[in-house]
Amino acid sequence: MAEEPKPRENKEEKKMVYTYPLCRHSDMPEETKLEVMEYVVTACEKFTGNNEAAAKMIKEEMDKKYGPPFHVVVGEGFGFELSYELNNLLYMFFGGNLAICIWKC
Amino acid sequence: MIEMGLDPDAIDDDDDTKTEILPEEEETVEDEEEEVEEEENAGEEDDEAPPPPPPEEPEEDEPEVIMPAISPSKAAVKIGGRPKKLVNSFNFSERAALTYNNPMRSQEVQTTPPPLATFSANVLQWVIYDAYQADYEAQQLEKELEKERKEKEKASTSRARPVRKAGKVQLSEAVQGRVLECWRVLERMINLNSYTEIAKDYRYWDDPSDEFRVEEGTLLPLWKFMYDKTKTHTVTDLDWNPYYYDLFTVCFGFFDFVKPINNGAVCLFTIKNPSFPDYICITDSAVMCADIHPKYCYMVVIGQYDGAVLVFNVQQSCKDPIFKSNNVTNKHRGIVWEIKWGPDLPDGELNFFSVSADGKVNNWVLMQNELMRLTIINLYLDQEAVAGPDGTKFRLKSCASCIKFHPDNPQIYLVGTEEGLIYKCSTQYSSLYLLTYKAHDLPISRMDFNRYNRDIFISASYDWRVKIWDDQRLEPLFSFDLGDRVGDVKWAPYSSTVFAAVTTEGKVYVFDLNINKYKPICVQAVVSKRRNKLTRLAFNPKLPIIIVGDDKGCVTTLKLSPNLRIPCKAPKKQQHLDQWTLQCMKLDKLLSLVREPVTLSLPSDTAGLEED
Repeated sequence: MAEEPKPRENKEEKKMVYTYPLCRHSDMPEETKLEVMEYVVTACEKFTGNNEAAAKMIKEEMDKKYGPPFHVVVGEGFGFELSYELNNLLYMFFGGNLAICIWKC
Repeated sequence: MIEMGLDPDAIDDDDDTKTEILPEEEETVEDEEEEVEEEENAGEEDDEAPPPPPPEEPEEDEPEVIMPAISPSKAAVKIGGRPKKLVNSFNFSERAALTYNNPMRSQEVQTTPPPLATFSANVLQWVIYDAYQADYEAQQLEKELEKERKEKEKASTSRARPVRKAGKVQLSEAVQGRVLECWRVLERMINLNSYTEIAKDYRYWDDPSDEFRVEEGTLLPLWKFMYDKTKTHTVTDLDWNPYYYDLFTVCFGFFDFVKPINNGAVCLFTIKNPSFPDYICITDSAVMCADIHPKYCYMVVIGQYDGAVLVFNVQQSCKDPIFKSNNVTNKHRGIVWEIKWGPDLPDGELNFFSVSADGKVNNWVLMQNELMRLTIINLYLDQEAVAGPDGTKFRLKSCASCIKFHPDNPQIYLVGTEEGLIYKCSTQYSSLYLLTYKAHDLPISRMDFNRYNRDIFISASYDWRVKIWDDQRLEPLFSFDLGDRVGDVKWAPYSSTVFAAVTTEGKVYVFDLNINKYKPICVQAVVSKRRNKLTRLAFNPKLPIIIVGDDKGCVTTLKLSPNLRIPCKAPKKQQHLDQWTLQCMKLDKLLSLVREPVTLSLPSDTAGLEED
């Protein structure tokens, strides 16, 4: 999670890479959202480099907490189009290169 | 039961049938019991019977002792005999019944599915990067704003005090100057909003029923004008401003001389602001009349109850008059009943005429710094001088109550008196009446010249009558009885044959002689008959409205319905004629019906010539 200079772009002296969890889109209630983001951070930090395990952990956690069927996608590059139950979507970035999408349907 | 206890074998025999023949069994039991009872009764009877000889008793006892021994056998015999009776031991019939089956019905319920939405996005590394970048910048910006805000707060708390102190001084200065003007504008705007409906009525509402009533019209009440400080006063005079057609003058005084009021006021209202007068001149005596100069529409001259006359320049100040008659030497000795600006003198000095109950008509000239008074005429009654208390001869004067100048010839004027006479006078002759009309029996309240034909004028009096006069003719052309004291009468500015009058009864009468020569085309009670009395009336020179004043200091605006203001239609052959000529023609036509022919021609002469 340390800030590292990006090697690709050297135009400016320092290209900062930000690693804090950044919520891109969510329609969850504010409290829920913060809680879920915390799970995501925990899971991704626990399984660095193992997206599948991280996703599995998040999904299980979510199912337990908010009732099944939750779906979780963790990855660096993907596209999606999904239907979700309202107030149950979170799309966030984390660690500078991970995108996590959680929804219930 | 006894039996069952005594005879278990028999019961055993019956065991298999027992449950089914339960009712039978009970019967048998009852039978047994009855038998037993009978036996016992028999025994008792025996006891009660006349005592048998003692030796017999042992005999009787013996069978008793034996009885128990016998009874089981007896019972056994009996049960043993039953099976015969119980041939139909299964004495029951099988019956079946089926309850009604309710019809089945299927019903389905489906919950609404949880609301769904779709969402789509593409995750790419650069998207993630950009998102972070944007977010970071936003955060940075937020921090800066926060800093600025904190600085401002600090600054504002330190600077605020001196600013406020300076503001107070500035504000008071500004109020005296231009802020007042702004407030006036604001007041008007608020009034425009709060009186929109009335304004719309005024603008657009024409009584639709007028189309179906040929000879009648109505008056629509619009705004009411009141001023809190003059609620107890009577409206003693009303007049529209000659320049601003929405502005009018209202004089507040009193007519009920039993209850004098100490002060008076002149208020200038505008129909654009019905809530408060635009100009208020408070005076120390009741105001009985006022007039606005036709050229300088800010010059207001006032006649008072105590005989004084005041000139206000409302543009400069409403507090102090610019001219005031001397309260001791230079004043009327009676109520100033009507006051009129005269045409300016050759030197450009303003002057006005006033009539008063002391029987004088005065001309006042506004000199450099004083009012110069000139008595034009003393209205002596046309009768011999009477002896005063100390023997001196004393000529009686009539009390003037109204004055009207001829619109075309300013030298000629009419004076109405409380004796009911109308004097036609000229400013050139100070002791001569050109003509005296014995018009009414009670004081004349107001007179008015017709706008189209200057020879025609109208007078209203407290003797309930309104009369229309022709110059040089001592008898009235028309006379109308209105059933109560007539406070004011005015010709309409838009028509030569329409006039309106108000009575103490609280009614407004509108006449159109062209339509009906005998009856009013509109009679409408404007105020409540018991509480209010109407005193004065004025036609707006431009708009189709009139204002009427009552004795509670209230001025009501009334809109004339279309039937009350029908314009003249030009005849087919004379389409080129304008409205003025048409109105004059209309009146002339009407007058020719009432006037005597001026000269009688001799038809015989002309007839003879033609024959030849």
